[in-house]
Amino acid sequence: MPSKSTAPPFKSTARVIRTAVLAVLGLLWLIPVYLLIINAAKAPETFTTTHSWRPTDFSLLSNIGEAMRLSGLADSVLSTLVYAVVSPVIAVLVGAAAGFAIVALRLRHGFAWFVAIFGGTVFPLQMILLPLFDAYSRMNLFDTRLGMILVYTAISIPFSAFVMRNFFTGIAHNVFEASVLDGASTGRIFFRVYLPMASSALVAIFILQATFIWNDFLLGLVLSQSDTVRPIVTSLAGMQSTYGGAQMSTVLAGGLLVSLPTVVLFLCTQKFFSRGLALGQY
Amino acid sequence: MRSRKIPLVVAAAASASMLLASCGGGGEDDGATTGTLDFYTNKAAWEPDFDELNAASESRADITLNTTGYSDAEQYDAFVRQSFRTDKSPGLFTWQTGPSLAELVEEDLIAETTDIWTKAVDSGWVSTDLRETYTYDGKQYCVPMNIAYWVMYYNKNIFAEQGIEEPTTWAELNSIAERLTGAGITPYYQTSTLFTFQWFQQMVAGTDPELYEGLSTGEVKYTDPRIVDIMETWLDQEEAGWFSDAGSTTDPAVGLKQGDYAMINFGSFFNGSLDGAGMVSGEDYDMFVIPATNPDLEQTPVAVESGPLCVAENSSQKTLGLTYSEWWMSPEAQTAWSEARGDVAFNPKATVADPMLEELGTTVASDDYQLYDRYYEATPTPILTVALEQFGAFIANPGDPMPFLETIQAEADDYWAEQE
Amino acid sequence: MTSDKATRPKAAKDPYHWSARGFIAPGVLGVAVLLYVPLLWTTFISFTEYNGLGDPEWIGVENYVEMFDDPAFLGSVLNTLLWVGGTLLVPVGIGLGIALLTWNLKGGTWLRLPFLIPYAVSGIGVAVIWSFILGSGGALDQALGAFGFSDTPRWLVDAPLNTVVMILATAWQGVGVNALLFTIGLQSIPKEPLEAARIDGAGGFRLFRSILWPMLRPLTAVVVGLSIVASLKTFDIVQGMTKGGPGRDSETLALTMYKETFVNSEYGLGSAIAVFLTIVTLAAAILYLRQQLSSKHEG
Repeated sequence: MPSKSTAPPFKSTARVIRTAVLAVLGLLWLIPVYLLIINAAKAPETFTTTHSWRPTDFSLLSNIGEAMRLSGLADSVLSTLVYAVVSPVIAVLVGAAAGFAIVALRLRHGFAWFVAIFGGTVFPLQMILLPLFDAYSRMNLFDTRLGMILVYTAISIPFSAFVMRNFFTGIAHNVFEASVLDGASTGRIFFRVYLPMASSALVAIFILQATFIWNDFLLGLVLSQSDTVRPIVTSLAGMQSTYGGAQMSTVLAGGLLVSLPTVVLFLCTQKFFSRGLALGQY
Repeated sequence: MRSRKIPLVVAAAASASMLLASCGGGGEDDGATTGTLDFYTNKAAWEPDFDELNAASESRADITLNTTGYSDAEQYDAFVRQSFRTDKSPGLFTWQTGPSLAELVEEDLIAETTDIWTKAVDSGWVSTDLRETYTYDGKQYCVPMNIAYWVMYYNKNIFAEQGIEEPTTWAELNSIAERLTGAGITPYYQTSTLFTFQWFQQMVAGTDPELYEGLSTGEVKYTDPRIVDIMETWLDQEEAGWFSDAGSTTDPAVGLKQGDYAMINFGSFFNGSLDGAGMVSGEDYDMFVIPATNPDLEQTPVAVESGPLCVAENSSQKTLGLTYSEWWMSPEAQTAWSEARGDVAFNPKATVADPMLEELGTTVASDDYQLYDRYYEATPTPILTVALEQFGAFIANPGDPMPFLETIQAEADDYWAEQE
Repeated sequence: MTSDKATRPKAAKDPYHWSARGFIAPGVLGVAVLLYVPLLWTTFISFTEYNGLGDPEWIGVENYVEMFDDPAFLGSVLNTLLWVGGTLLVPVGIGLGIALLTWNLKGGTWLRLPFLIPYAVSGIGVAVIWSFILGSGGALDQALGAFGFSDTPRWLVDAPLNTVVMILATAWQGVGVNALLFTIGLQSIPKEPLEAARIDGAGGFRLFRSILWPMLRPLTAVVVGLSIVASLKTFDIVQGMTKGGPGRDSETLALTMYKETFVNSEYGLGSAIAVFLTIVTLAAAILYLRQQLSSKHEG
């Protein structure tokens, strides 16, 4: 039984240097975010691009209000939330089950099956939009929440299966064998042994896919129509065009508002990535 | 072995779906003349304006628009094309005039509007010139949603500071450009993506409207010496520093406001963007019709862009859509629309909210001006795609125009050969 | 005989045969019905002449011939390759670096956060903000100007510079995801070999090469595999920033496909490009993953 507390692998001076490097790099990474915020806060009437780095005024709230008015954003929030939670949860479970079948249960021709699922991500999404629209409108799935959940789940599965399959290969096979000797069924082993061990991977997949779905524009554009079904970014994108509509700072403010929930999601899930796995429990 | 079965299963599912697809689309016209009409538009930014118009249409025609806006024009085109095959074919949708509309009409996908036009022309609601744009084989299809004239916008403060008046001849316009350049001000806005055609359009039509017409019918080649001459003039102007940096990503309305350039050649819907950017119509900005390049022309050519409002022939809401179209043409609807949208009205009996646009409408209606279809609508799509790219490349790196023109002409040759 | 009840792990041939099929079925079905069926339609269309109206007309391989005849197609392929190489080098490399730096570091999770935030910014926001930074006279030029560099290149106009800067903008958004995936990989590494190596006096680079890198392999395969696939179908950022221009200088394959399909309504030609892109991507992914995955864990 290895001890749970791990000694730091590097010396303290190295820690300081690492922290410093990360802090500097992190600040560099936040510069575009800074520009996004200060320019989203400029009033459209006084907005210029000649002093991009300086905050001039603070009209963020009125810009956000204008963005919500122009795009009908409020109607979309609830359904987008449903898509961004339900679809990734299903996809994570389905993907983990696939990984479990290939790695732990040693499914025959596992690699071929894996490629079959992974192959779902390789072609550009734009190519399947029109046949999907055609099929959806024939099967009465067009402009329904069920239809949106189905398609979002399907496109999240390959990524989820890929990560989970590879994550499970890091778990020694004798973990599985030991559980079998304890008399557990495969279902039980999956839910009680493998899934808990993979919690950080599951959470990572969930937040990445939830963010992806939350930010989806294309599928929402083609497969939905009414304000209550359309996802949020599709609604948001509608307010900007050559033929007038929102000004740049309003667009930025809308974009900022839409990004907030995902940032909060990232903040809330950080603790899942703070520790290593307790792999020694079997 | 099992893995080899995957394609089989999938193929079976695919053939099943194709079987489904081959059963034609469309629904039965339900004949309703009042109620909620599903409306699709690629001018998504106008959605609030359409919603505002509902107040008028509900009380007068008892029809409410349920608007779905598509912010991506290309996805929108594909969506509408596909929808004709399904029972979602739209009761009302926006489209483009020119070859794109002709294509739909040829496939019998659009409901005829000849009766509506006859009534509108008889009532003096619309000009016969505009009817031409909507006529195919002697019949009319769709009704005009919006109309825009392509003019020159300018920053009034810059013109005032430099003591410049609106030009009335091409030579005056050129001397203004020279003067501004001398004062360290860039005269014209340009971009290397999408809106790359307007200066070419302006100079070709302004030199000879028939030459312009010939390009769109394939009778004139892009490598024609007269076209090459015009491109050489453009190149000289580029080299003289008359155009803004093609790499700038500043919104053109903001660019005009902050004086990055003094003038922009744009459609008259640009008022909305300028107002939104905080400029005041008639105070901070104004517009003039660009004088003809060739002073001997009797009429000054003005590019016009008109977006149609169409009804699908096989839509379940065909009658409802046509009823709305008829109401749309009326002065009452157009006055309400002009109030909501603030745009030029095609109906001379409608009241236009913005005096600058009102004046523009009256000006171009006089005999001194001649309207021609904008390059974007006049040019067949495959040629247009290549031309927009090539003009963009020319704008980014101005040089010998021949290679650019030859590339466009190669595509034009292919296209016209296929039309035989 | 139900395999679920099997108690002898190495008994018979394959006691989990049915169970395994049951576990993989939902994934395969979901992907097949919603993604592969539409793809087959696309493949069929690639052998036809179709403008989105009426019925497709079978023309055999004509679209493919036309595709390879087009000189712009070659430019598109080259740009796409530049994207593949660039995204392997920059976001994957930096992502690994960040994962290693934050690994077992106090507060590491919070130091990783700034890199994840860009991923939360929606695609519209990314294209808008980077156009704003990289446009001539934009935020970057203003910053450089403040340090006395006034003669800056036209970032989004001059090729192939425009592709390079767009790769960097993509890296800005993608690094956090890669760092997160590598972190999960690091977390799954058992502690014993690490302890042993450290007792042997291994540190820094040697520890990385001898222990971490080999053990990170499963997750490296994920990151590299996803990176190859994503970069081969690069679309959003290019469409948002240069639309493939000026001319066709920064066009990628996905953009060429999009243009033919959606702008020109040449559904057949667009589909042919999509099929070509899919085959190339799948081939690259299989070659890479076979080598990375199958040697150790599966037969």
